[in-house]
Amino acid sequence: MTRSPEFRGGKEAGSTRPLGLFFLSAAAIVLAAATLLYAQSERGDYTQRNLGSLAQPVVPAATDDAKYSVGSYPLYWPELEAGEGKGLVTGYCNTCHSPRYVLMQPPLTRDQWAAEVTKMMKTFGLEMPESDRAIVINYLAEHYSPETRKK
Amino acid sequence: MSGISRRKLLETLSAGAGAMALGCFAEAAGAQQMHASDRLPPFTGPGANPRWTSVGLVATYPQKYPLILLTDRPVQLETPQHYFLSLFTPNGAFYVRWHLDEIPTTVDLAEWRLEVTGNVEKPLKFSFSELLSRFPSSSVAAVNQCSGNSRSRLQPRVPGGQWGNGAMGNAMWSGVRLTELLRAAGVKPGSLQVQFQGMDRGKGPVGHGSNAFLKSLDLSNPVIEECLLAYEMNGEPLPLLNGFPVRLVVPGYFATYWVKALTNIRVLDKTDENFWMKSAYRIPDTPRGMTTPEDVKAGTVKMIPIGRMPVRSFFAAPEADGKVPLGMSVTLRGIAFSGYGRVTRVDISDDDGKTWAPAQLGPEYGAYSFRTWEFSWKPQRRGPYTLAVRAADETGNVQSDEPVWNPGGYLWNRIERQQIMAGAAQ
Repeated sequence: MTRSPEFRGGKEAGSTRPLGLFFLSAAAIVLAAATLLYAQSERGDYTQRNLGSLAQPVVPAATDDAKYSVGSYPLYWPELEAGEGKGLVTGYCNTCHSPRYVLMQPPLTRDQWAAEVTKMMKTFGLEMPESDRAIVINYLAEHYSPETRKK
Repeated sequence: MSGISRRKLLETLSAGAGAMALGCFAEAAGAQQMHASDRLPPFTGPGANPRWTSVGLVATYPQKYPLILLTDRPVQLETPQHYFLSLFTPNGAFYVRWHLDEIPTTVDLAEWRLEVTGNVEKPLKFSFSELLSRFPSSSVAAVNQCSGNSRSRLQPRVPGGQWGNGAMGNAMWSGVRLTELLRAAGVKPGSLQVQFQGMDRGKGPVGHGSNAFLKSLDLSNPVIEECLLAYEMNGEPLPLLNGFPVRLVVPGYFATYWVKALTNIRVLDKTDENFWMKSAYRIPDTPRGMTTPEDVKAGTVKMIPIGRMPVRSFFAAPEADGKVPLGMSVTLRGIAFSGYGRVTRVDISDDDGKTWAPAQLGPEYGAYSFRTWEFSWKPQRRGPYTLAVRAADETGNVQSDEPVWNPGGYLWNRIERQQIMAGAAQ
């Protein structure tokens, strides 16, 4: 095995003891100077905030039959803004998809939200009375438009 | 003691840790300086998303590494930037996009069959083991990219999955050639298209796009010869979320055609008019699929089904907003691909696209794979740099710096930029 250049064996170190002492004191001075110079560096900075964390999922035991299974997929239920229409929005949207679809969108104008609701009805077959339709569009525009969206 | 440390100390001393966790987003948004311990704001817009990926939660799903959550039912997950350091995207990191919520969680291969029906001489049905044993296995390295990849870049923003750049992946796919099964069944004269359907279903009424997802390709399209019914992805079975047991592979084409958990192949004697062909996944019949909101409103835009993927290139490392000490060389790395032929050139700029120098290309895995590139870069001054990357393919397509806009949010392939800071080294 060839020795890497950084590696120093005991013998070499022993033969340079007087020089070593000199370097040691020099190093101490440099270290003191460095401490002053790098006072901007920080250590041990922790905070009470957290970014959320993820639990590890159970991996179901495999069986030797023809079934290939992952169990069920997790849902991450979203926090929609409180307000008139929240229940209707959650109820109607959740028929086909998670209300997280609302939060995933960029802020949309009232016209864009109205077009989305129309698409869900005309194209995708959602049935909703006109009175509910107006409340749903109003809720989305009131909380999820460029002027109103907070989170 | 610096101001920051004092603030931190006070925070740590104040006991209401729970309340602080709740208030942290509001505080972060208003603060001058964001910290790595602050959460990202949960949405972007109405401006363009400036980040490489979308801003959603990181979430855990079966057979998957933690990925960025767009939606949970149906499932849409985005692949983080660093996975594009490798030529092949690991199965566990491969992005996920389903249209309907009833997606398979258990597949019983004792029941599962792949049927070839419609305008054929002899309708056929194959079990998984028959696919493995009766036909030769073919392989292709191919990029699977969502039609809406990078949709969050569009201005004005459009509704839909707000992907950053991570709705793509590259895999070595192995399986049976589509033409083998079509030949076995015997396509009758007068056939026009072949339609594909998988196990996924939705809660919507029958006959609507919210009930079934169906995609079709023209039988006259040369890509039919290259299509695979893939039962293997990077040498393993496909994850259920990526289409186990078999998914269609359409090399060079956007992923909307790559039907997952495939069960039905139907030969059609007329053009498929279902929602997912007639209304969805359509692009303006213009160069780069460009149009304007005004023209769409005026109804003057002719729309056609989306097809091949335009040439694109990406930074994988260093990740966005990194910092490099002056005097040090760093290796910029990334990938490039095109649905129109081999990537022949990747150029790098460190002055926001004014001047360019060629990157070194990695090994070639055929025309449809990612091609890796790298570039040794040494900043010459302190301060921010805007790096840019652009690719060209063998058919003469070069990435443009013009943004793309169309109502579906498809085909984005503008030159990518990445901010990097050169810091002092002493």
